[in-house]
Amino acid sequence: MSAAFDRFVSRTDGAISSTGEARDFFALLKPRVMFLVVVTALGGMVTAPGTIHPVIGFASLLAIAVGAGASGCLNMWYDADIDALMVRTAKRPIPAGRILPSEALAFGLTLSVGSVIVLGLVANLLSAAMLAFTIFFYAVVYSMWLKRSTPQNIVIGGAAGAFPPMIGEAVVTGDFGLHSIVLFAIIFLWTPPHFWALALVKSGDYARAGIPMLPNVAGPAATRRQIVAYSLVMAPVAVLPALMGFGGLAYLIVSVVTGLAMIALAFRVLRVTEGEAAHKAAYALFGFSILYLFLLFAVLLAENSLGLMWALPKVLG
Amino acid sequence: MSEAPKREIPPAFSPEDMARRRRRSVALALVLAGLVIFFFVVTLVKTGPAIMNRPL
Repeated sequence: MSAAFDRFVSRTDGAISSTGEARDFFALLKPRVMFLVVVTALGGMVTAPGTIHPVIGFASLLAIAVGAGASGCLNMWYDADIDALMVRTAKRPIPAGRILPSEALAFGLTLSVGSVIVLGLVANLLSAAMLAFTIFFYAVVYSMWLKRSTPQNIVIGGAAGAFPPMIGEAVVTGDFGLHSIVLFAIIFLWTPPHFWALALVKSGDYARAGIPMLPNVAGPAATRRQIVAYSLVMAPVAVLPALMGFGGLAYLIVSVVTGLAMIALAFRVLRVTEGEAAHKAAYALFGFSILYLFLLFAVLLAENSLGLMWALPKVLG
Repeated sequence: MSEAPKREIPPAFSPEDMARRRRRSVALALVLAGLVIFFFVVTLVKTGPAIMNRPL
């Protein structure tokens, strides 16, 4: 193994408690991912056909956010060995030696169990079961199995990130229907172009860690074609909420304009394949994809909860 | 009989380390206090205000 891995082992071997601060434990929860989970789960809640007491809604959202953070923590615990080998992740609390693996494992398991129990008590059993499944899917199916074994890792694993709107709808209605399934599909189809754009830039990192990301296995050209293909399917699916009556005129405009921008950026990634310009194109798609998903859900939230809905005729659903 | 290899004892925490651990403990205390308030408010909402109206 590399010198970085040896340093990681020597820093953590034999110690029983670290000197990590609260912010290091917070970093284990992947706060940026947690924020997107909160936004998407809230999207599922506000578009659900029903109402919920605001305090119960807030408490449920908190439990979902903590559950998502717990799965991120378990992911960092399991991946500490390969995180130490990649420039992008080497400064995370465990490979940097600020938190012990045993502490992260205990923290992640405690928050997982706690968040599921709280959601079950505050909302209902279905949403709690879905949260438990999401944590299991991300920590075990994705992190422990798919990530190191198949280039389709983030395609299948993307389901974990797509579940929050369904959990959100289950919190409100005790069930899930077509609305949250469409929101699931949007996030599920968004994940591959988002991650593969990053993987194109960081393929050296992934190769060093031995992770079979698509650019390392199928090559950059095949990855670029797949990015375009997923973007072409994703953008029309993202317009569906407007056609199904739970997104209004603002959502229609935003989803069409930003969807076209996603497709244009994906085609630029396909076209520009050499040198610094290729890196810039991939980074531009990666950065914009985050803004894209955030905007879609932010507009849905504004329309459905702030009374800004300019309703359109229902075409589908 | 050969002696078992002695495990190296980690050096004591420095004052800076102790300060970091103290900040961590304070943060944990604040989170626990927040949880108490959280469960109290959620219980009130779930059971309704009638829970406060009990004969002594």
